[in-house]
Amino acid sequence: MSTADGATVRFHRSLYLEEAIAEAAETFAGLATFAVRSDGDHWVVDLSGIARDVDGDVVAEFCNFALANSARRRRGAHA
Amino acid sequence: MTTTRTQIETLDPAASSLTLSLDVGLYPREALYAAAYVFIDRAYLLLDRQDTRFVVHFRTKHPVDETVLRAMAGEFENELLAQALRHQVTDANQRIIEEVVAIAIAGAAGDPDGTAGAALEGAPLVALDDPDDGFVADPNGIARPWEPGKQGTE
Repeated sequence: MSTADGATVRFHRSLYLEEAIAEAAETFAGLATFAVRSDGDHWVVDLSGIARDVDGDVVAEFCNFALANSARRRRGAHA
Repeated sequence: MTTTRTQIETLDPAASSLTLSLDVGLYPREALYAAAYVFIDRAYLLLDRQDTRFVVHFRTKHPVDETVLRAMAGEFENELLAQALRHQVTDANQRIIEEVVAIAIAGAAGDPDGTAGAALEGAPLVALDDPDDGFVADPNGIARPWEPGKQGTE
């Protein structure tokens, strides 16, 4: 879901780690403001003030980072 | 009807996006992560779970037509299968892998039987002040560069 300068993304808790999401939010801190909350089986991230004058999709790139961070952290914990 | 196979739930060539769903019982989560990671440079991915199925939302970073989208879906399924097998093989051989690595490390520390590991803990692997140590003496000139410009003066 997205508005002109905001969006909401839902990450399933069984697939995304809160620390991984926070790490991704930190990476993109200069391009948007992030608020993470828990809602049932999901972590819900409200993005606001998304920079529109950048090359690429900030929200989608943030999702990729959250995924990559979760995969890396889970693999590190498993090893 | 319960579906166990991977299937395309939605496909939207105008948005270069598709949604796949797959049975959680068929693929371990690690295989899903690994397969998704392979595509992360070409697509935006968002994983989700609905009951007994993983759902993969997939949107390419550059516009593509339906044929390419379907091909990528197939490629993703192949990658899932490969990663699931890899995961299974790693799990099945975990102890062997760990033992081989332990023996190799013990051997490098001068203890091929691995019985003196505790005593050697913290000790240097190569005695730099020992001229008989093969790593330092290099009697056959193995460590000497063969390129004329890099041979130095020794």
